[in-house]
Amino acid sequence: MTDEPSRNERIKEASDYLRGTLVEGLQNEITGAITEDDQQLVKFHGMYLQDDRDLRPERARKKMEKAFSFMIRVRIPGGVLTPAQWLALDGVARDYGGGTMRLTTRQTVQLHGIIKSNLKPTLKEIDAVLLNTIAACGDVNRNVMCNPNPYQSRAHAAAQDLARAVSDHLLPHTPAYREIWLDGEKIAGGEEEAIEPIYGKTYLPRKFKVVVAVPPSNDVDVFAHDLGFIAILDGKDEVSGWNVTIGGGMGMTHGEPDTYPRTADLMGYCRTQDAVKIAEAVVTVQRDWGDRENRKHARLKYTIEDRGLDAFRAEVERRAGVKLAKAKPFKFTSTGDRYGWTQGDDGRAHLTLFVQSGRLASRQMNALREIARFHDGDFRITPNQHLIIANIASGRQSEVEEIARAAGLLAPFSGLRRNSMACVALPTCGLALAESERYLPDLMTALEARLSAHGLSGDDIVIRMTGCPNGCARPYLAEIGLVGKGPGRYNLYLGAAFDGSRLSKLYAEDLTHDGIVAALDPLFAAYAAERQSGEHFGDFAIRVGFVAKTGNGADFHANVRAKAEHGRTVGGTGA
Amino acid sequence: MSAAFAAIPKTAPFSEEEVDLLNRVVGPASPLQRAWLAGFLAGVETGERTETQPAAAQRGVEPLTILYASESGNSEKLANDMAKDARKQGFKPTVVDMADLDLAMLTKAKHLVVIAATWGEGEPPARAARAYHELMGEGAPRLDGVDFGVLALGDSAYAEFCAVGHRIDERLAALGGKRAVERVDCDLDFAEPAARWIGGALKALAPPEAARGQPAGRVIAVDFGASKPAAAANTDVVEAEIVEHVNLNSSRSAKETVHLALAFDGPAPAYEPGDSLDLYAQNDPAYVDELLTAAGLGNDGALRSEFIAARDVTTLSLKNLAAYADATGHNEVKKLIADGRAKDWIAGRQLVDMITDFPAAFDAAGLRALTRPLAPRAYSIASARAEVGDEAHLLVSAVRYQAHGRARKGVASGYVAERLKRGDRVHVKLKPNRRFRLPAPDRDIIMVGPGTGVAPFRAFVQERRATGASGKNWLFFGDRSFTHDFLYQLEWQDALKDGALTRMDVAFSRDRPEKTYVQHRLWERRRDLIEWLDDGAHFYVCGDAKSMAKDVRVALANAYADVKALAPAAAEQAVATLEREQRYLQDVY
Repeated sequence: MTDEPSRNERIKEASDYLRGTLVEGLQNEITGAITEDDQQLVKFHGMYLQDDRDLRPERARKKMEKAFSFMIRVRIPGGVLTPAQWLALDGVARDYGGGTMRLTTRQTVQLHGIIKSNLKPTLKEIDAVLLNTIAACGDVNRNVMCNPNPYQSRAHAAAQDLARAVSDHLLPHTPAYREIWLDGEKIAGGEEEAIEPIYGKTYLPRKFKVVVAVPPSNDVDVFAHDLGFIAILDGKDEVSGWNVTIGGGMGMTHGEPDTYPRTADLMGYCRTQDAVKIAEAVVTVQRDWGDRENRKHARLKYTIEDRGLDAFRAEVERRAGVKLAKAKPFKFTSTGDRYGWTQGDDGRAHLTLFVQSGRLASRQMNALREIARFHDGDFRITPNQHLIIANIASGRQSEVEEIARAAGLLAPFSGLRRNSMACVALPTCGLALAESERYLPDLMTALEARLSAHGLSGDDIVIRMTGCPNGCARPYLAEIGLVGKGPGRYNLYLGAAFDGSRLSKLYAEDLTHDGIVAALDPLFAAYAAERQSGEHFGDFAIRVGFVAKTGNGADFHANVRAKAEHGRTVGGTGA
Repeated sequence: MSAAFAAIPKTAPFSEEEVDLLNRVVGPASPLQRAWLAGFLAGVETGERTETQPAAAQRGVEPLTILYASESGNSEKLANDMAKDARKQGFKPTVVDMADLDLAMLTKAKHLVVIAATWGEGEPPARAARAYHELMGEGAPRLDGVDFGVLALGDSAYAEFCAVGHRIDERLAALGGKRAVERVDCDLDFAEPAARWIGGALKALAPPEAARGQPAGRVIAVDFGASKPAAAANTDVVEAEIVEHVNLNSSRSAKETVHLALAFDGPAPAYEPGDSLDLYAQNDPAYVDELLTAAGLGNDGALRSEFIAARDVTTLSLKNLAAYADATGHNEVKKLIADGRAKDWIAGRQLVDMITDFPAAFDAAGLRALTRPLAPRAYSIASARAEVGDEAHLLVSAVRYQAHGRARKGVASGYVAERLKRGDRVHVKLKPNRRFRLPAPDRDIIMVGPGTGVAPFRAFVQERRATGASGKNWLFFGDRSFTHDFLYQLEWQDALKDGALTRMDVAFSRDRPEKTYVQHRLWERRRDLIEWLDDGAHFYVCGDAKSMAKDVRVALANAYADVKALAPAAAEQAVATLEREQRYLQDVY
């Protein structure tokens, strides 16, 4: 181990609280890019420099630089937007973002294809509806997720309050964002403690993700995040306090077994009034204890593995001045969304729409804009990349439904498709090794044919795909997880729990489209024939021995079978 | 011997072989040798005739002012050709660009020839506009005692065919001038009628034989001084091979702009930055087939070949329409003309529309008579020999649009974009443009070139880099999309890094709802812009003539008005002064 801080640490240190040379970089109109150091800093402002990878082969021949543009990620705690905010995002997407919007797995909206000269107009228009993109990416606390289920109105309100409170409390304080993007006045100087009381100059060692869950739904995938709060409900469905989870995370690197996804540990239970203090303490302990030399070992999950949960808990309790109680019992049933109409405790109606892979193209955007123009409730982005039109006025319900149906947002879908997620991947994501969002729908069509043949069309099976192993669509918590390895090649993971509490395990490597279908078809057949009553596909895969069970992150790479064995086990040990 | 050294023009009264022989001697001769030769030949001449003749009389004594208004360079070339002929016939010609004309000059002219091009819809060439309007205005001086003749150039595809020539002809007469030779209006195939007119005009304007003392035919005028000998570049049609053919727009762009690199078998024509190349295009065979089929001549292979290679088969003019009505007696066409609807009808239509919409029995000769020779299309050269050696680069934008239910394509651009590929051979001819040259190396330049208008500025930047010119270089570029239409983006980035470009400002019109064009950037940068101009910078504009060039001129006048707190008239005067000083130069189309 060296004592040398990673390059990103030096960039943060020298950035003057995330300013870098972004102002100068924006003035250079001849390139669509910014400097390499600024590319790291701009993430803290909620955006990534990307390029259209579909166009890469032709650019140099045409005497043009890469087709650079930015992805902008909005910070939307709990995923809740007013109709006015929806219309504003719809507007910037049309004007600057290629006429498309992307709902994300972390309950926010991403716009892609925004060229450098349009960044400031975009951010100003977003700011005008009281939204921003601060800390949507980067080594800070990112968008705080929250179970959006409006049908548990009271519990949801408490969860949403906590999500907002944590989000506000952990927001970076640097004035750089206003200076650079909104032409705010430059505020000079100041002591480190005054400028960033929680983060300091170098912020966190790595990204940090917080979620708030309300059982029985684990739609936020509470075990996949650095810090989680699980609502503990009393007999009247009121929140009495929160179980606290820490140390979850998805990212890993192919071929590096020291990197692995990890499900979070239950650290204890706290009262609502202490939750923000606990959150701050977890952040500052990770700030001080996290690895700043190796970015692949810098997430909180590795700090917990290295220092132990007990030591970490003790330090959090010391800093927060709060003693955590023993975690309370709770029960999750699924990670999916409840599509269609639901009624809240308060009698208001909500419609959950299906948005394939979170992608809103012009047809869907037109429909949602039409709704937003009269809707007086809100829009809620689900952690599964879908959308809830919530709190619909009673006279407008059939109108909303008609518009949504006409745009294909209500069409009947198979149990597989209902439970699917995909990351963006190609052509914009610089990390993608393979297609994801553009490919998963076609793969599902092929798999649906097989499922139908086995009489499984209606069964809920969670399938998630990512174009790289970093895990944006949380593939290691899916019953069928597909992770891009190279162009047209995927690793297949099986055996995760339907309620999001158990990781999967590698089943087969480097599969092509045909290979995926061929590998899954006999497993579907076995599942149809041999499953027990109510048994989910992920549990079945372990019981019959398709894969070994993963305990937690550290044994994620253990007990992986050799490729040659596949097939022989099918239907073997199950009976 | 390289053609670049040719000092004896091909038009000299010698056979081609003799011209070559003479050139071998005269071409490489030093100025001293040439002067000796001139004196010697003059002596031989007088000796033979055994008459004493003052040497001065060998040169012309009869003054002749040849005034031209040129946009594409055709009028300018004719004026210079005429001056050569005039000198041989004992005149002392002065060639004047209308851009530089002081009207008072005309009153002193004894013999005046005007060669005037009409541009667009009846407008004078941009740089001639000032003098033209002065001539048409109330302040124009009387021209009593001036013998004049006007040669008008135009394009019969436009309704106001040769309008500028007409108006000048009438105006000179109205001001008291005596029309010594009738005006002739020339279409795109002007070479032959223009040469005839020039011959006739020189005869008509010539003084009585007696006054000149000797027959004009006996004088051999060796055209030493007209221009620097090394610049006598080869303007013959030459063949070139396409060594690079790439669409610079992204595959996501609606536009297609082809970067064409041409290599020559020998040295490249000796072009200078700012010059153009005439490209001899061929018609789209599919279009020709459609036309021939519509005319019932679908199986005339010879006509097909001729049409593809050599005839303008798209242009539809009022003249065509009238000729068609005469030839076919088609009632509907006659009615169209009689009702005064013909002009509206031909707008946006082509020959094929007329023949399809008004079918009539027709023979090959009749159809051929409706066409003109296919003129070459000039493209500004986008390279400098100092950097690319014996290549020449062109930037060709594919013109495609819908009109009257048909997909249209530009003849030359369609040829380049759709039918040419790497390895093919094309015919080109150098078309010098001495009105669009780089200034002295230490002068600053401001270049405004959106779209394909950037072509000559690529040549400028290459030249200034290769020659290490110390002047600063500022480029304004624009197009539709930053990502998909930024022509030569990587090259400009390199030029900014290596200093060949000092500054660059860009305007992309379709990147956001509000459209931004180069003139908006000029306005935003007005302080620096005026500072550069005050420091003596030359201002160049290349590209679209219809709106961009006008908008840029307005923006510059506004910049003067704002930065220097000038009244509109004074700001306009500031721009006009730049034009008069030849520091505001345009190559627009």
